Amino acid sequence: MVDATTCGTTDARTILHVRGLAVSAGPRALLRDIDLAIPERRVFGIIGPSGAGKSTLLRCLNRLVDLDESLHVSGDVELDGRSIFAPDVDVDTLRARVGILFQQPAIFPVSIEKNVLFGARHLRRLDRRAAADLAERALRDAALWDEVKDRLDAPAVKLSVGQQQRLCLARALALDPEVLLMDEPTSALDVQSTDAIERLIVRLAPRCTIVLVTHDIDQARRVTDRLACLGLRDGVGRLVQCGPCCELLDGRTNAEVAERLGGGSCCD
Amino acid sequence: MRRTLDRFVTAIATTCAIAALLVIGGIVTAIAWRGAGALSVEFLTDSMRGAGAAGGILYNLLGTLILLATALAVSLPIATSLALLHGVYLRSERARERLWIALTVTHGIPSILFGLFGLLVFVRILGFGKSWLTGGILLGIMMLPTVSVALAERIRALPAKYVETAAGLGMSPSRIVRSVILPQCAGGLVTGSLLGLARAAGETAPILFTATVFAGATLPRGVVDSPVLTLPYHIFVLSQDSLDPEARARAWAAALVLLALVLCLSLAALPARLRTHEEARHG
Repeated sequence: MVDATTCGTTDARTILHVRGLAVSAGPRALLRDIDLAIPERRVFGIIGPSGAGKSTLLRCLNRLVDLDESLHVSGDVELDGRSIFAPDVDVDTLRARVGILFQQPAIFPVSIEKNVLFGARHLRRLDRRAAADLAERALRDAALWDEVKDRLDAPAVKLSVGQQQRLCLARALALDPEVLLMDEPTSALDVQSTDAIERLIVRLAPRCTIVLVTHDIDQARRVTDRLACLGLRDGVGRLVQCGPCCELLDGRTNAEVAERLGGGSCCD
Repeated sequence: MRRTLDRFVTAIATTCAIAALLVIGGIVTAIAWRGAGALSVEFLTDSMRGAGAAGGILYNLLGTLILLATALAVSLPIATSLALLHGVYLRSERARERLWIALTVTHGIPSILFGLFGLLVFVRILGFGKSWLTGGILLGIMMLPTVSVALAERIRALPAKYVETAAGLGMSPSRIVRSVILPQCAGGLVTGSLLGLARAAGETAPILFTATVFAGATLPRGVVDSPVLTLPYHIFVLSQDSLDPEARARAWAAALVLLALVLCLSLAALPARLRTHEEARHG
């Protein structure tokens, strides 16, 4: 497994600023009073119980939440100091800048190479050479190149689930995102594939901000620099505590955080 | 008790399936038995002579194909738009429900009413006269529910993860429609179109007053007042009016050709339908 090498650096510039964010579905509040400062080129973890709104919060960060008509978002999210909800913001460009990796890999029924280039081809013109170079670079970044370099034209659906998840990562990386949102990306994977993804997260962090939603406290300890812990109060997700990973996991200053994390120490 | 009930239900279902297959088999056998004798290459390549008692059905076959091609050209873009409106663009659930009801109601309208509508609007008010275009438009409108519902069902069955993933890659809604939704749902469009065509191929009522004549036409030379010969109307007239045994035998042969045409269209839809079922089973 990946070693914890960093813990709680706070000197980085803030790339995403969440201010007073609240999400509701009709009369039912899902999230309330979320304030976060997500540092640039770090791994920022979000933990919390099921139903606390972790995934909803993640989807607010690139306005993917807009796809669900029933959800109403208030408050603000700033990317590089600019509100992502401003009227002049092009939401498609925003989503290319703030990529996302889902819990279950979503593979299009085309070849491996076409999957990697699926988003990139629609955003910019790529000649054959540039496309091949970009596919190779993205697959290398996702540590998948050596496994698929001889069968780039093969159907992507034939890859294992772990490989499919890395393919989705390559597809997101092909857009050169500034921020990569990851929604429990290893929950459907075996130990080896989880390890591979965790290594990638650590390796990618110096060039791309990563926001990771995870249920796995050990994983949070292994890969995140800072953590936000969401909790449920009266059925509404709220921010319980936010801080450097080890401080949050070892300090257990907050009763709710301690309850969420259970009895044993996670940073032993 | 539970096992006995299971066996009883299985027996009833099997009996019903066998009965349905026997009816279909009986229709096909009866038509093939009576029509095969008059069937020949000349029958397919010659034009009708002697009020149907001699010659073949070349122009009837071509006329039917012209109507079907026109119907397809009319229905494809409109049905695709309706399905996308229902599955993608309409935000209100109530609006989606209303559109769905409208399509269902259109599907249930008796075909003779389409014929009367065409007679009033296209033949009389718009002045098309009896024309292949009028027939094609009417058959196209009749096909709309079949095609759009098949595509809309496919869009509804498309896992949301594909649209979310595409949106997450920064693709615009129109790009998602072109690059994700339509390619992945094309099977529904193909299935709906072929089934719609199979239904339209056998329709007589909508084209009776609007697009077809029994004799005196070959290939259309214009749009207005340019009717075509068709297989359903040919069979209808010969079966109803002709006392000549030779003409009646040729009516059965024409029916066999029409049946083969419909069967080909249904079989052509089969791979796309099987793929849909396979994908639904495996996710």
